[in-house]
Amino acid sequence: MLRGAIAIFRRDFKKFLSNPFVMFITLAMPIMYLVIFGNAIGGSITGIPLGVVQEDPYIDYTPLFSEGLAALQAYHQPDKPAQFEVTVFSSEGIAQQALNDGTILAYVVFPSDIAPDRPVRLYVDSSEYTVPALIQAGVASVLVRLGAQNTLYIDNIYGTIDYMQFFGVGVIVLAIFMTTMMGGGIALIRDRELGIIEGYLVTPVKRSSIILGMIGSGTVRAFLAGFIIFIVDILIAGVIVRGLDSFLLVVVVLFMTSIGVTSLVVAVSSRFSNQQEYASTIAFFSLLLFMTSGAFYPVIGMPSWLRWITVINPEAYAVHALRSIILRAQGINVIGTDLIALLVFSAGAIMLGIITYRRTLE
Amino acid sequence: MVPADQNNPGNRHSHHDSPGAGETGEPGPEKIIRIEHVSKVFSTNQTIIAVDDVSFEVYTGEIFGLLGPNGAGKSTLIRILTTLMKPTSGTAFVDSHEVTKEPEKVRSIIGVCPQNSTLDLELTAYDNLDFYGRLYDIDEKTLDARIWELLDMAGLRGRADAKAGTLSGGMRRKLEIVRAFLHHPLILFLDEPTIGLDPESRREVWKQISMLNTEQTTIILTTHYMDEAEKLCDRLAFMDGGRLISLDTPDNLKRAMPRGDLIEIGYETLNDDVLPAIRAHPQVSAVEVQDRKVLISAHQGSSILPVILDDFEQFSISVTTVSIRSPSLEDVFIYLTGKKLDQADATSQKKRPGVR
Repeated sequence: MLRGAIAIFRRDFKKFLSNPFVMFITLAMPIMYLVIFGNAIGGSITGIPLGVVQEDPYIDYTPLFSEGLAALQAYHQPDKPAQFEVTVFSSEGIAQQALNDGTILAYVVFPSDIAPDRPVRLYVDSSEYTVPALIQAGVASVLVRLGAQNTLYIDNIYGTIDYMQFFGVGVIVLAIFMTTMMGGGIALIRDRELGIIEGYLVTPVKRSSIILGMIGSGTVRAFLAGFIIFIVDILIAGVIVRGLDSFLLVVVVLFMTSIGVTSLVVAVSSRFSNQQEYASTIAFFSLLLFMTSGAFYPVIGMPSWLRWITVINPEAYAVHALRSIILRAQGINVIGTDLIALLVFSAGAIMLGIITYRRTLE
Repeated sequence: MVPADQNNPGNRHSHHDSPGAGETGEPGPEKIIRIEHVSKVFSTNQTIIAVDDVSFEVYTGEIFGLLGPNGAGKSTLIRILTTLMKPTSGTAFVDSHEVTKEPEKVRSIIGVCPQNSTLDLELTAYDNLDFYGRLYDIDEKTLDARIWELLDMAGLRGRADAKAGTLSGGMRRKLEIVRAFLHHPLILFLDEPTIGLDPESRREVWKQISMLNTEQTTIILTTHYMDEAEKLCDRLAFMDGGRLISLDTPDNLKRAMPRGDLIEIGYETLNDDVLPAIRAHPQVSAVEVQDRKVLISAHQGSSILPVILDDFEQFSISVTTVSIRSPSLEDVFIYLTGKKLDQADATSQKKRPGVR
């Protein structure tokens, strides 16, 4: 019995050692977890973009405004960089516009000279997770430190959003990501491994047809998965869709995201001939893309060197677009950039897939 | 390399007595495949020369056999001709299209049945054909009728809706062969069409191949079964170690054996004096004694046999058994390469214990 067990052990171990690529990915995965979870989720969020403005009629900066501005700029957790990245706005209207566009996450309105006792007002983008609470705590503690008597009035401009709702939107993208990770280009690789590919490579079928066909089928599957989760979100997670136009926009974003992510996965698969290598590579990249997409933790909480990934991450655009539509009731004017980014990304991935696909057995 | 006169492009039924006749300029049969000094070298871990400077031609409408042990380079050559691999050097033309320059054109006129099964086992027999029908861009209107025609041809009409995985090995093979024939290709490549099949299924596959050939399709098949090559092929190319050893019709190959027929005569007690007497006949090329038998190689064995038996009687040796047989292709192969066809088979089986 022992001899048999050792034989099985040796066989398995030889295979493991003969594939350093899989070994590398196996180690890279937990290290990535360490870096992303350790840095982003465990660390504190700093540099939150915050607007400061003084109420009309504006005559001159009040002492409260000047001191408040300085205190907010200097505010930080022990041994951390400044908590807020403060921008001074000349009027409430401009600040409100900046908040709606998402360039700042909150703004503070200090009372003017003529009515110094009015409350300090704080308008917060409540569609982000943990960030609103940090802003509230920061502003409140600054006011206490200054000894100001003014009350703090807080307006969550998108209402109170549960984490369930926040995360529910991210899970739609998770569904797309899971489908592509499980399906995606695996059929192409299985064909290669089983030798079935030899049968159709000798037919006149074009490699662009092979890649487009795979992407098409994967896209439909990913879209259906995302759509089902979207419906589940509405029924269970309390995600609210405000109208038919929002609903249709969500469908468009889901479709574009499905194409983008599927194209990427199929493009990668066109070069692999081993299921295990492919699966571990895809798992690695998919997790990286999903975790940096902001689906379950704000992008702003990531170290800056990690944040550049979100620029080339289709899932980040997808999450941003879905949150804009569902949680912030924004329209095509805000998510237009996201759609363009997804389009460019899909086109690039499809081209890559077609170019790298091997039309021979070598 | 192969002597040029073995590679005779003349009429396949009449050129035995005039080797090289086709090169004198008379219009030979139409050539559909031309292979010129093709080599293929694999160099991943160690350098392996899979195909070594092979040149030959295939005529329109014939069944051409590539014969040789496993690892002789047959499949690699087929893969080069079917655009799946690029030759390291040399060129090959399929119906005037160079395989590396116009692979798309080549693919549209060939049908291929690779050595390993390429059926999708999760699809039904019908769907397998339907899938390829679309890849071959067959008109939607005629596709369904064509599929049923081919299913009939393969005797699989009743199993059309069965998943390919549930079909027997013979059925799968037949389905795969007709699949390669969906689009009426000019050339059909069959790589080891009957490997691993029982005798009954092999005969059926042979019948199918002959039937397809009557539609003026050129068929190229590789095999390491001598009986298959002898039964089906108009011309045969022997390959070994990546080289082309010999190329001719099966009859000519056998006739070219210098030793002729093999006569075996069993005896009770031998008088050694008989041996020089036998050797004295001009037709006899070799005489050996083995296991209480005299083994005689002789040309026109059947006409010399009575004379030899007279010799035995003369020396009062009582004969117990007599047998005579013509050389088989196997004997030709052994003569040409010095080894048996299934030798490579035996060694490759040893490497994979458990496969028996």
